[in-house]
Amino acid sequence: MAERQYEELKEFEKQLEARGLKYVGRPRPNREAVLKVTGKAVYVDDLRLPNMLHAKLLLSPHAHARIVSIDTSEAEKIRGVRAIVHYFNSPHNVFNSAMRFYGDNSPFDMPETEYIFDEYVRFVGDRVAAVAADDPFIAEEAVKRIKVEYELLPAVFDVDQALAEGAPLANPHGVDGTNICGGWLAYGSHSEEEVLKAIDEADYVFEDTFELSKVHHGYLEPVCHVAYYSPDGKLTIWTSGQNVFCFRSVIAQALGLPHSKVRVIKMIVGGAFGGKLEVLHEPVVGLLSMRTGRPVKLRLTRKEVFLSTRSRHSGKVTVRTGVDKDGRIRGQYIRSLMNTGAYAGSGPNTVGAQSGKTFLLYDAPYMFYRGAAVYTNIPPAGAMRGYGTPQIMLPRETHIDRICREMGWDPVEFRLKNVLRPFQNNCLGQNVHNARIADCIRAGMEAFRWYERRRAAEATHGQRVRRGVGMGLAVHGAGWYPVYQDLTTVTIRLHDDGTAVLLTGTHDLGTGARTILAQIAAEILTIDPDLIEVIEADTDVTPLDLGAQASRTTYIGGNATILAARQLREQLLDEASRMLKVSIDRLELDDGFVVVRDNPSQCVSIADIVASAQRGSTGMPQRELIATATFESRTAIESYAADFCEVEVDTETYQVRVLDFLAVHNSGRVINPLLFEGQVHGGIHMGLGYALSEEMIIDPQTGEVKNPNFKKYRMFKAADMPPSIRVITVEEPEEAGPFGGKSIGECASDGVAGAVVNAVSHALGVELRRVPLTPEYLRSVVEASRRS
Amino acid sequence: MDERVEVTLNINGEEYQLEIGKRWTLLYVLRDVLNLTGTKYGCGTGDCGACKVLIDGEPVNSCTYLATRAQGKEVITIEGLSKDGRLTPVQQAFVETGAIQCGFCTPGMVITATALLRRNPNPTREEIIAALDNNLCRCTGYVKIIEAIELAARRMRGEA
Ligand code: FES
Ligand code: FES
Repeated sequence: MAERQYEELKEFEKQLEARGLKYVGRPRPNREAVLKVTGKAVYVDDLRLPNMLHAKLLLSPHAHARIVSIDTSEAEKIRGVRAIVHYFNSPHNVFNSAMRFYGDNSPFDMPETEYIFDEYVRFVGDRVAAVAADDPFIAEEAVKRIKVEYELLPAVFDVDQALAEGAPLANPHGVDGTNICGGWLAYGSHSEEEVLKAIDEADYVFEDTFELSKVHHGYLEPVCHVAYYSPDGKLTIWTSGQNVFCFRSVIAQALGLPHSKVRVIKMIVGGAFGGKLEVLHEPVVGLLSMRTGRPVKLRLTRKEVFLSTRSRHSGKVTVRTGVDKDGRIRGQYIRSLMNTGAYAGSGPNTVGAQSGKTFLLYDAPYMFYRGAAVYTNIPPAGAMRGYGTPQIMLPRETHIDRICREMGWDPVEFRLKNVLRPFQNNCLGQNVHNARIADCIRAGMEAFRWYERRRAAEATHGQRVRRGVGMGLAVHGAGWYPVYQDLTTVTIRLHDDGTAVLLTGTHDLGTGARTILAQIAAEILTIDPDLIEVIEADTDVTPLDLGAQASRTTYIGGNATILAARQLREQLLDEASRMLKVSIDRLELDDGFVVVRDNPSQCVSIADIVASAQRGSTGMPQRELIATATFESRTAIESYAADFCEVEVDTETYQVRVLDFLAVHNSGRVINPLLFEGQVHGGIHMGLGYALSEEMIIDPQTGEVKNPNFKKYRMFKAADMPPSIRVITVEEPEEAGPFGGKSIGECASDGVAGAVVNAVSHALGVELRRVPLTPEYLRSVVEASRRS
Repeated sequence: MDERVEVTLNINGEEYQLEIGKRWTLLYVLRDVLNLTGTKYGCGTGDCGACKVLIDGEPVNSCTYLATRAQGKEVITIEGLSKDGRLTPVQQAFVETGAIQCGFCTPGMVITATALLRRNPNPTREEIIAALDNNLCRCTGYVKIIEAIELAARRMRGEA
């Protein structure tokens, strides 16, 4: 069934393309832009419900402790305090905050390790209690007056400590009494021994270990939830999340409610990047509303966001590569330890996702990946743009550059020799489809004037201010086929004035997903996109979707939209054929009308067709023109990027300035170039921060995040950005994507940091083994290299 | 708890007589007393600019500005910029250039840009970047925001 549907779909797309595309492929501003620019867009924190209470969390000051007792008597005395919840008075249902669908809780993929409130706290910032009060000031005061007695426990903060012999257990759910979360993931083209042997037999063997920092999404909108438990026993949650159906499952499980009694509504999201993919404090707010019968809002302060939400996995990645004299990679072995923090969340899944990307870029006959998520007593890591991928690309791309330096290869030429080619099978036998990475490299090399600028940069290497030119590659998928089910359903309804509404469970995070789905539907229905309302992500209203994650929205949602719109188109042609008394094969949709192809003056408007169907005028039953279609992904499609940059390093201050950045992307056909570019620009911003300035600094004694604010957690400002940023696309269409499109959201960022680190290495002539490249770190590396 | 005071505030051209907490920030009063929710809380520490409003024409972070201090001054919020539903040239340029993604930084960005162009109708790129020193954006890399401000400036000078 799915296969036939797929083939028909692709045939249909070809027909549309032959006709000429009107909306797809054209720039179009985000459809919420006017609301946002006038301050009228309603985010969760802007909701004002009658009698709404304000919540505040009490967060753990300790990295690891058992809660002996909680005394709330002083807090309860404050006027206006309406409820206090904590371990001793709340339900104890275990869950995994990243669970995506029923049954997605295997001890390997998504171990269940969290409670609304646990008897133990496992990181500084873990939840201890929560208060709901008449206003936020009262709630804050009440939280201060809660007395908690803790029994302190030993803690571990990094992966080395966590895996040391006899290390304290950061979380009791580790595998075999260790801090390994979920277990090791180990697979490759051959057995581990065979791959290691093949590497050792190569002409040259290289190995590097890279330390990865913990960074935060830094979405501008702090996490905010509103909950209301109404008298009919229904809990409604308004959130700025990325995955309402998953949230419904987790919240229902945590609170012991049936799914039908939980409704989750996504509001306009002020940035997410993966940080709002997992359930955060929604169950707490739900519980407070159940206790009080009143709406409750929790809006975190920025400091609380840093302490008590999710962040990128830090960790350690070792890459070992065997290369033959001719510059071909014979084998590669990657060992990855990802610090997942205090709870499992998506830890093992992030490892799984990153393992997959390991095999999709370079063409080596022998490859093996071994990795694990590791529990520690720091704030839990989770999904973040790239989902483990930058943590592979960055170490490997810097390692590749080191190989080039030692073997005397130009980095571009070495990569061109070794990357996978279109429609090739990788060492696991997976076909990479229209993988145009080599084209990206060539296009970038030319546009960046690679050789010329490398040489010009090298001419500055004796000076105080040195320039470096570097590049890095990345690959990212779209959806998670074939690992899990990957489907979405779209419903489109036509109104009797010729406009339409599209219902989708997909989530627009400011990325423009609503705009893009409207463009796709408009292309088929020939209605202006602005006349198609797009209603998104409300568990009681929109069809099922599995969340804005895995760069899947345009691919999966776009294809479902094509299917639904195509069904509607058939309904329109069918009714029109009866109205016009002309056979269907002579009819075509054109600009809001069904017209007779060989006699265009004979036509009928969509509005009239809808009205006719509703009245049953042509002898058919009275009916609404409505179509619902589910798209199921049957193909893994990969996007590719080659990033180029030039930097300047002052060898007295060790300040790095990025002078120029070029991103070359192969994302298939670009559906909306304006939004596409915006995604790439934002990805560059995030990757530059990862390389140069951002890090959640964990106090080695206490485990506390030492810089939980935007003053000390340094995201790039406008003045830090490269003066020149260019985006080029290699638009070879990918057959499985909607109108040939692939993903961009994550690929935009995956390769950026690697390019920057390589450029800085080039400028300074040293090997760099960690991020961010702070002046202190760079100075220490250069001084050490001088000494040796 | 907090001592209350009476204040008269002039916001978007209207006078409001309010009884407020002495230590309430202007941001709190705007959002939670007057329901002018276009001004955003992004950090509360003066580091992101999401809460910017114009006070006597100058862009100011309302999250670190006590509401009582705004007495006798003219406060303009994002809601007060466009008249009769028509976008200002700055707003229009932000929409067209794709400078708006999640939109959470947008009100603050627009306030900053508006103040800049009133002060300096012909800013250089460097001057625009300098004006954005206290406005963070996580979505756009600032590229299209800078383009938008340049476009608005050209249009306001009648050049585009
Ligand atoms: S909220 Fe005021 S500067 Fe960030
Ligand atoms: S558009 Fe999202 S923070 Fe600027």
